[in-house]
Amino acid sequence: MLPVVDAANLSLDRRQAVGIVGESGSGKTMLCRALIGTLARHGAEITAGTVRFGGLDLAAASERVWRGIRGREIGYIPQSSLAGLNPVLTVETQLVESISAMGTLSRRQARDKAVELLERVRIPRAPQVLKARGHQLSGGMRQRVMIAAAIAQSPKLLIADEPTTALDVTIQREILSLITQLRHELNMALVLVSHDLAVIEDVCDDVMVMYAGASVESGPVAALSKTPRHPYTRALRVSRVDRALPGQDLDAIPGDAASVGSWPAGCRFWPRCSHADEECRRGSQPALMPIGRQLSACIHAERLVVGEQLPAVANQEDSARRRK
Amino acid sequence: MRSERATARSGNRDLERDQDRQPSQSGDGGHANIPPPTSHFSSFSPRFYAGTLRLLRHPVTRRLAQAVLVAFLLMVFAFLLVRLIPGDPAMILLGDVATEEDLIAYRKLLGIDGPLHSQFGRYISNVARGDFGLSIRSREPVLSIIGKRLPVSLWLTATTIFMTVVLALPLGVAAALYRRTWFGHVFQIVASVFVATPVFFSGLLLILLFAVQVSLAPIAGYYPGFPANLYSLWLPALTINCVLVPVLARILQSSIIETSSEEFVEAAIIRGTQGWRFYWRYLLRPSLAPTIAALGYFAATVVSYAVIIEIIFNLPGVGMTLVDAVRNRDYPLVQGIVFLSGLLVVGLTFTADLVNGWLDPRAKMR
Repeated sequence: MLPVVDAANLSLDRRQAVGIVGESGSGKTMLCRALIGTLARHGAEITAGTVRFGGLDLAAASERVWRGIRGREIGYIPQSSLAGLNPVLTVETQLVESISAMGTLSRRQARDKAVELLERVRIPRAPQVLKARGHQLSGGMRQRVMIAAAIAQSPKLLIADEPTTALDVTIQREILSLITQLRHELNMALVLVSHDLAVIEDVCDDVMVMYAGASVESGPVAALSKTPRHPYTRALRVSRVDRALPGQDLDAIPGDAASVGSWPAGCRFWPRCSHADEECRRGSQPALMPIGRQLSACIHAERLVVGEQLPAVANQEDSARRRK
Repeated sequence: MRSERATARSGNRDLERDQDRQPSQSGDGGHANIPPPTSHFSSFSPRFYAGTLRLLRHPVTRRLAQAVLVAFLLMVFAFLLVRLIPGDPAMILLGDVATEEDLIAYRKLLGIDGPLHSQFGRYISNVARGDFGLSIRSREPVLSIIGKRLPVSLWLTATTIFMTVVLALPLGVAAALYRRTWFGHVFQIVASVFVATPVFFSGLLLILLFAVQVSLAPIAGYYPGFPANLYSLWLPALTINCVLVPVLARILQSSIIETSSEEFVEAAIIRGTQGWRFYWRYLLRPSLAPTIAALGYFAATVVSYAVIIEIIFNLPGVGMTLVDAVRNRDYPLVQGIVFLSGLLVVGLTFTADLVNGWLDPRAKMR
């Protein structure tokens, strides 16, 4: 078995919103699956560590326990809203299942509740949408339906795995503000996964940055955006599209993300890091250490001084040379 | 009458509207020459037109039109069957000793005298009236011969399809759910063995097993009338299913495996859907379309399997009649059987498509 995520530490209080940010393949989605108990379906399992929720350890929970948790205590919004809706069933059938999986409500009651849910996620003409199937709705509508299904039983925690990736920018903003509003209305905690740091800065209180299966930096959003204490966080901030000037090349992070099974020894980011030295290549992934208001896994975190000009990103030749 | 004309009229409008897309259809039949709307037509409300239009564009109507077209081509094929055989059928049938008058009279009897287009015209008008001619051998009307034999074949087809569904569905589901256990591996091997075994061999083996060793079925022959006929039909149906069930179960297995990795299945697990709701709504129903389409086609092959099966089991069905007719060069009878069993196939595939459209709304969009 290959390790996919081996050094992630995430904690959140009631009503808190935490963002997880990282490149594709950094283990964000796997971490979410661990939180919702569907790892086994993807041929993965938790071999060490705990997942505490209330007084329960979910890492060791049986399928029976999970049935009481999924949907009821923890809601989940999947990555792709089209794939998340069954093409042969109407929105109504699926929403009604979300409201009561055992089918204990009467048809009428369940339908009324479904209309109420759709209105809650601000879908106009709810009765018509109930009769539609996934492919008949627009991307934004589908995502609203998925949100409605996720909050059907008023869970305490909502997990949203890249809920806006497939949507255009204006719809993205609407969906994010909807999630934020519902979070306050229903007093939910939120785990929001994204590869876009800007999205998380808008919505979340705390953020965790993941790279190659490990959390490399975490802390309050404000602290991380003002004084990032890990070169990867800095690189993510520098590579933001909205910082680019017209006519200028985008500041991409050099090299490719370390893929599962071929993580380098030492700090996993060193082949792409402009601050890397001999010490970084030794041992294993450094542990998170407190620095300022946040935690950083960079052994040179102290050297990344407050107020320092964000470093010029090393060019491709540099990193290629370092790899040899 | 009124509604018929209205349908024709609005059908024409439909064509006019689509003219730049399908210009070849504008001169279709006699509809193109209908005069511009008069007071007679204006008595139909726009809603009526809209309704007819919707009906014409409905996927089911379109599929039905396809089926009718296939049936027509089938009729042309059956017509040409006799005409395209090298040599003169009348000469072949009557032999060297026939006189010229005999030949002319016989060609008239077979409907193969005169130019081809007038033969076709006569053929179509006869078929439309249900007249498929007389059997050369028995001088009996073809339709009444088929009418006597068809019920046996229909019962065999129905029994086979029923058994296929009853056996293939649970097998396919089990093969998908337990594909990593011993059951899955055994299924793969046994399925391949069964598909590779020819029906005339498995048929004889099954007779030996179920009719000779233990008498759960007659060794040969047919007991007419339901439900007595099931006693003589279940073994032939099982024989055909030795081939059909493994193929269909494997199609279903692979669709279910594909479906089970879909994100909506995970969504259903997360929202806590369980029991029959989960298996039917999230695994089976989204996976059925390829299996039912295949079942439609295979149901068609049952008709051709029937030829062998009816001989092995000595069932007095259409298949056996066809073999006799071919052997006796009874052209009108061959023609009639080819056309009617072809119609049966068209009907079966059309039904499969209808069921699919109802089960899986995605299928309707195609």
